[in-house]
Amino acid sequence: MIAPVTTIADTKGLLGTLPSLRLDVPDYIYTATDNARCSKSEIFVKEGDHVYMGQLIGMRDGGFFKQPIHSSVSGIVDGFEEHYHRSGKKVKFVRVKNDHKDEWDPSLKPRSDEEIAKLSRADFSKILEDCAMVGLGGSSFPTYVKFNNDKKIEVILINAIECEPYITADVRLMEEELEKTIEGMKYLMIAFDCKKVLICVKKKHKSLIKMYQEFLRRDENKGISVCPVGNFYPQGWEIAMIKSALGIDIPSGHLPSEFGIANFNVSTVWGIYEAVKYNRPVVERFISVTGDGIRYPSNFRVRIGTPLKVLLDKCGGYADPEKDKVFILGGPMMGASLPSDDCIITKTVTSVLVFNHVAAEEGPCIRCGSCVYSCPTHLEPKQIMDAVKAFDKERIKALNPLRCIECGLCTYVCTSHIRVTDYIRRAKMFAKTK
Amino acid sequence: MSIIKETSPHIHRKDSLARMLIDVLVSLSPVSITAIIVFGLPALRNLLISVAVMMAAEFVFVLIMNRIPYDGTKHTFKEQFLHGCKAYRIHHILAPIVSGVIFALIMPSGSNPGYVIYIALILGSLFGIVIGKLVFGGTGQNIFNPAAAGMVFAKLCFGSRYVYGTNGYVNAVSSGGTMLSDVASSSSSLISRYEAIEQYSALDMFLGRIPGTLGETFKFAILLGLIYLLIRRAADYRVVISYLGGYAVLMAIAGIFVSVRGGVNYGQWMAFSLLSGGVLFGATYMFTDPVTMPINAPGRVMYGLLGAGLTATIRLFGALPEGVAFSILICNLVAPALDHYTYSGNRFTKKKVLFTCGIFAAFVLAICLGLGFTGVAA
Repeated sequence: MIAPVTTIADTKGLLGTLPSLRLDVPDYIYTATDNARCSKSEIFVKEGDHVYMGQLIGMRDGGFFKQPIHSSVSGIVDGFEEHYHRSGKKVKFVRVKNDHKDEWDPSLKPRSDEEIAKLSRADFSKILEDCAMVGLGGSSFPTYVKFNNDKKIEVILINAIECEPYITADVRLMEEELEKTIEGMKYLMIAFDCKKVLICVKKKHKSLIKMYQEFLRRDENKGISVCPVGNFYPQGWEIAMIKSALGIDIPSGHLPSEFGIANFNVSTVWGIYEAVKYNRPVVERFISVTGDGIRYPSNFRVRIGTPLKVLLDKCGGYADPEKDKVFILGGPMMGASLPSDDCIITKTVTSVLVFNHVAAEEGPCIRCGSCVYSCPTHLEPKQIMDAVKAFDKERIKALNPLRCIECGLCTYVCTSHIRVTDYIRRAKMFAKTK
Repeated sequence: MSIIKETSPHIHRKDSLARMLIDVLVSLSPVSITAIIVFGLPALRNLLISVAVMMAAEFVFVLIMNRIPYDGTKHTFKEQFLHGCKAYRIHHILAPIVSGVIFALIMPSGSNPGYVIYIALILGSLFGIVIGKLVFGGTGQNIFNPAAAGMVFAKLCFGSRYVYGTNGYVNAVSSGGTMLSDVASSSSSLISRYEAIEQYSALDMFLGRIPGTLGETFKFAILLGLIYLLIRRAADYRVVISYLGGYAVLMAIAGIFVSVRGGVNYGQWMAFSLLSGGVLFGATYMFTDPVTMPINAPGRVMYGLLGAGLTATIRLFGALPEGVAFSILICNLVAPALDHYTYSGNRFTKKKVLFTCGIFAAFVLAICLGLGFTGVAA
């Protein structure tokens, strides 16, 4: 088929926007020491120590920034274990035995509204750094960095698009934590001294849009409004979102803040609310567990540090247990596949997908051009693939693969089932080396 | 159950190479069926010969390309054969069928003497698939359209022996040739030779009641196939529109000169230009071959316009009656140049639009000069 893809067919009969299940906090909670961005870490607690919820138990070192590690449960430190992290690496985890009391660290003081109104952008940056806020949409980029400039911000975009198919965790968050997300947006308006917030939601979530519009009538003229955008993929990519929400085309290599735009994921906004209001780090999040390899796909509201096997048990385990499975953290288009289901939910895991493995054989490329037509960054994946096969560095650089955002559309549309995105990843590696 | 690691993305569009090739075969079926009804057994014979030759050549190619890697021991022919057969895929069957059917449909139904058509079909399809496609590495690697390459080869070798349209359905006025070859072989001048085109009505041309090759005269059947291809998105509409549109514009401009200076009815001229020869067939099945065209949208539009210009100029000024297959081959040669990495891209930049307009204007100028100052004096 010679046609670009704009919408990815969602699965019928899998998850939908099912209300989330609140899981009991399991007996053992695991907290990662290292993560994808930080390779070194220091742990302040030792076996047998008592920790509170939200207590600082260590510090990660990511080279140019430091990231505090907080306990997401109260209990006794029980030991250290190795499990798979979201990034696909085996990482040491701190195991905490849950005492089921959920006591918050008494040193974390809530702020009154008057105090919050007086906070400056630098204060926000400090609070978020101490609370280890990162982009919860999956990027795990430290949020405070976005506050570390004094550019004039005219509009804040809230990314609630969740353009990947199958997953609806953000929709659940928005419906179930409506007031807190709106409060979080108000804090962002204080931080950036900005008068306009747009919540970008997919058009197809009609009930969600209606709900927000109804609720926002109470705060009319405060500047927060819902901005329905198309059901396209990759609409959640910030450049595509800005383009469809504001009509501004940001050239590659420039930051949105240069154009007076700041953007945040909706779950990050929820985390910002908790951090600013109560000084608490993120200890909970919404997760979709779905895919055709899962017996009962469900949405969950879980404590960070829950082992994934607990969630899989709640979902009734694997469907068709005799078939081989592909195990993915993240969405079906960009998520990382793990070699084992022995994995821990960290802050940035948005969803868990289990698919029955389908072995697709690659055919010859017939140059149909679907990948070229589909590419959101106007690259030519087929040409880059040819250049990689020929090890032609000059050609690779001229084709500019570093613009690629790895959305995966070129592989998705390929008529011959070629994994084009893999070639582009290799081209990016080529292009980075001198 | 085991857990398998793979790279993202993890889902695929429901689509396959086989689906695309079957779509092309389905879209070829109206033309093929009409050809078999009208021409009877010779049509079926021609189709079977060219398909069989192309499939056999592709099968041998698969065997040669998939030998057992050298490991010090000697393998029997049977082992080699079975190992090669393991690499035989569905597209190795479907792709030669598509090429073979297209090739048969652009060849004449018979010849004089009768045995020449067998030689022409066998050698033409062999040349088409081997030189046009397999020497470059098979499906997806070829730079020439196999059917066009084979047709041109057969035409150059055996063209003078062809016999077109020898059955009751066709309103044969001349014996042996086509409308276009009648015009081209006419001894009168560039413009006045078109007086002869009024012997066929537009309806006759649309229904295929004119002498011509096996398939390309049945315009209604080709249009059905074209619509099917475009609905199923198995053909790129950009090439079809730019080729047919560009050709229609150029012929409309040429028609002004022909009707004013040669006294030919303008409507008849347009019907003759669009409905004779292989323009529609080439636009539907040969220009839309994705393998041999550029990969991005501006390249494809340029490719179609270039083909239109070449077809129009060969037809108006060339020594040969029909320019479609030749213009396809020349465009195939230009396609890699249109794809060159220093300027390729999927966006219509100002430069590219200007360049395309420049090429098209050059063809318009050539036609205006060629028909405006020469050709009337007989």
